[in-house]
Amino acid sequence: MVSSLRLPALTSLFSPSFTRRSTVSLRRRLHLRPPLAAGFSAQSAASSPTETEDRVDSKKSGRVQDRGSTDRVITPRSQDFNAWYLDVIANAELADYGPVRGTMVIRPYGYAMWEAIQDYLNVKFKETGHSNMYFPQFIPYSFIEKEASHVEGFSPELALVTIGGGKELEEKLVVRPTSETIVNHMFTQWIHSYRDLPLMINQWANVTRWEMRTKPFVRTLEFLWQEGHTAHATLEEAEKEALEMIDVYTKFAYEQAAIPVIAGRKSKVETFAGADKTYTIEAMMGDRKALQAGTSHNLGQNFSRAFGTQVVIVPIWKKVDEKTGVLDAASSVAETLKNAGLKVKLDDTDQRTPGWKFNFWEMKGVPLRIEIGPRDVSSGSVVISRRDIPGKQGKVFGISMEPSILEAYVKDRLDEIQSSLLQRAISFRDSNIVDVSSYEELKEAISLGKWARGPWSASNADELRIKEETGATIRCFPFEQPQGTKTCLMTGKHADEVAIFAKSY
Amino acid sequence: MVLCREIAKLVLILAIVEHMAGGEKKKSGGGGKKKEVKKETGLGLSFTKDENFGEWYSEVVVNGEMIEYYDISGCYILRPWAMSIWENMQTFFDAEIKKMKVKNCYFPLFVSPGVLQKEKDHIEGFAPEVAWVTKSGESDLEVPIAIRPTSETVMYPYYSKWIRGHRDLPLKLNQWCNVVRWEFSNPTPFIRSREFLWQEGHTAFATKEEADTEVLQILELYRRIYEEFLAIPVTKGRKSELEKFAGGLYTTSVEAFIPNTGRGIQGATSHCLGQNFAKMFEINFENEKGEKSMVWQNSWAYSTRTIGVMVMVHGDNKGLVLPPKVAALQVIVIPVPYKDADTQGIFDACAATVATLSDAGIRAEADLRENYSPGWKYSNWEMKGVPLRIEIGPRDLANNQVRAVRRDNGEKTDISRVFLVEQVKGMLDKIQQNLFDVAKQKRDACIEVVKTWDEFVKALGQKKLILAPWCDEEEVEKDVKTRTKGEMGAAKSLCTPFEQPELPEGT
Repeated sequence: MVSSLRLPALTSLFSPSFTRRSTVSLRRRLHLRPPLAAGFSAQSAASSPTETEDRVDSKKSGRVQDRGSTDRVITPRSQDFNAWYLDVIANAELADYGPVRGTMVIRPYGYAMWEAIQDYLNVKFKETGHSNMYFPQFIPYSFIEKEASHVEGFSPELALVTIGGGKELEEKLVVRPTSETIVNHMFTQWIHSYRDLPLMINQWANVTRWEMRTKPFVRTLEFLWQEGHTAHATLEEAEKEALEMIDVYTKFAYEQAAIPVIAGRKSKVETFAGADKTYTIEAMMGDRKALQAGTSHNLGQNFSRAFGTQVVIVPIWKKVDEKTGVLDAASSVAETLKNAGLKVKLDDTDQRTPGWKFNFWEMKGVPLRIEIGPRDVSSGSVVISRRDIPGKQGKVFGISMEPSILEAYVKDRLDEIQSSLLQRAISFRDSNIVDVSSYEELKEAISLGKWARGPWSASNADELRIKEETGATIRCFPFEQPQGTKTCLMTGKHADEVAIFAKSY
Repeated sequence: MVLCREIAKLVLILAIVEHMAGGEKKKSGGGGKKKEVKKETGLGLSFTKDENFGEWYSEVVVNGEMIEYYDISGCYILRPWAMSIWENMQTFFDAEIKKMKVKNCYFPLFVSPGVLQKEKDHIEGFAPEVAWVTKSGESDLEVPIAIRPTSETVMYPYYSKWIRGHRDLPLKLNQWCNVVRWEFSNPTPFIRSREFLWQEGHTAFATKEEADTEVLQILELYRRIYEEFLAIPVTKGRKSELEKFAGGLYTTSVEAFIPNTGRGIQGATSHCLGQNFAKMFEINFENEKGEKSMVWQNSWAYSTRTIGVMVMVHGDNKGLVLPPKVAALQVIVIPVPYKDADTQGIFDACAATVATLSDAGIRAEADLRENYSPGWKYSNWEMKGVPLRIEIGPRDLANNQVRAVRRDNGEKTDISRVFLVEQVKGMLDKIQQNLFDVAKQKRDACIEVVKTWDEFVKALGQKKLILAPWCDEEEVEKDVKTRTKGEMGAAKSLCTPFEQPELPEGT
């Protein structure tokens, strides 16, 4: 049994209502820098300057010129989803393109999220009895050849090393696309009796698949993942473990990343080359395409509870004599929240204007921003802005700086944001799944860019026909099945289960 | 007779460099031969540390279930027992560098040849060891792609792009990853393998002073890993010109010594790269005055080699000996029931003991397997090097006590269950300290101060760690290597220690 979870793409990609709002927030941001606003739609006039204008004097402050304003151009999501995705990854400094085609550099902001995922999963893996180990990256080509179906599945994607230390190698070496062959080889050596079972190990590693079409995080030549490999004495145990791990991934997606994935079983056509069964979690992206196997794209460039900075504090002052008071207040607020166990960043550099900072931290997706100006200092309160609700609606004034009050307020808001995200994602997902009972209905749903769910008991050939004709594949047979008798949407014969069809990444 | 013409300014440590295989130096490193593995574990080693060090080492890492040999020579499988040690060190080191505001990231495994060759000395140093991907599937790649032997050339083009002004400095990045160096000198698990895990830190500063400061801060962290976690004494020092990092300005390192073989071993390195890479990769910045300036860079790394050194220094003829601070398991609790004994009661006591210790943060487990005798278990866990063993038999149960046995010195103590946690903690601390003290004693006993070439050769023959006056000329160092190449292996300079003894005039 192999369970694998790939490195997430780290961007929040669902919720059309969010799309609209984010474009609003984009426009608002653009408004602070006139040269850019001209490049975008006429709608920019509709967004009015916010209270930030009063508080922030980015144009008149005479501060250091903010460089790289061209960096901040982001294609609106509804206009071109793909371009938006790439822009966000670059601007939020999550990743950069690698020197070799299709590789990527994961920058600290992006990597920190991966580390948070690792910390979470390592705990879960240990709880479920797995140990970490490390297998070599190189696989003798002969190993791969042994597993015929495996080869067919992976062959075009294998990177082969033929020269080492200046000499032609005796045998070609494959850079691991996945470690089954090595692990199985070792398992046969380590397992001699039932007493050696169950054997449950995991490794965090990089794998390489020489892909033709790549996209940062989603599909790169080299990517990071964890792969769990276990061996059990009975089929029942193995099955139980597979389901237990899918459950770990599902909980992780829902609770930590606010992604309502659908857990289920892959069809035979889609099952891992050489495997008996594959379980998966499927997520719906912002463009309604499906993304599989816990490749949790949506780990919150934003908002995910466990990941990255939760609160950023931006002190604001105009006159020099205001500065000390404001900074002191900001520091003590930072302390309070840190002591409460939150991840806080105090952005007190005076090399950047407040306006620049607002944009920067919004780009990075930090859920809450606390602003403190001289007026706030005298009134002993702060202004709090939510990243997920732009404009006036997302801003609250006069929150007391008193530690117990502030802490409670901030924690409540963070929880709210987390569940709000999850709720929106669930609505978006559910509103884009159509229950169908015929092939015609399925075709229509797919052509509308939605997912189709319907009873299925037809053949592999039929499944492939659907792929050819509509571009949709079976994402899974979900664990959650509707009641009642079902007839296959293709053949009209009896069907035990419904399957979910969608176009995917 | 002095080795060189110039007045020697510095004293240098010389020793036979660790260059061994699971056996003799004469073994070749190529081919896909698979090593025979003993099926039985925990039932004794067939080689002794003093008489067949090489074989002993290979046997102990396999029987201790740290390593599994693999079908590709020079590549090894790290089993959980080894991986947990790596992870324990990682937890410490990662936290420390985060305090220094270093950030983790991940750069690609693959390097394009053009970029790899940018720094001339660097590529000369590493080119012979690079592994090349030349095909994908059935087709040849237009341009072969290298697998990183180290990531300077992968990362620095991005440093050039990301660093524009002084506000972008310092830039401090680190990555935990695997690297590949296709060497042919005898592979040895942990110590010298073709693929290994490590961390590599790469930092850029506006001034040399900042770079120099960090070099030493990091070196201190490496010393701590060795001395505080692995209980291994090391010497801090600067590398000779011949041995420094290819392409760098100067290299500092921590050096360890294996008394059994009389061989030195490089523990970890912290390099100041100067501005050499900045020049090649055009990593410039605009300083406050508006002038264009090149950055000053460092790079620093330690690897899974640390685990090998630990095995070599502390292991004995019963197997591994793990310092409590890094051991996956610090205490193993073993029931010792007799025929008429209250077996269930003993088992319960074992479980309770584990629970009490675990609650106190001690890594403890019980071995309750009924198909292995207590004696077998003692051997097994001794082989695996668990620092403390606790036995519970009917007599212990009756007296509400347990028997604790130290892995390092075999000392047996009866502990009242009332004071279990404090006593166990105390014993673990003592074990950690004792391992270090013994190792240090053994090493210090091997240090020999010499002044002439004859004394030098003699000491080398006695497997000593040599402190000698040295002028640090590359030619002379090469000469020393050639002249001492014999049965024992060539001598190599380890470092110029930071702590220098007195040097009389005219040395």
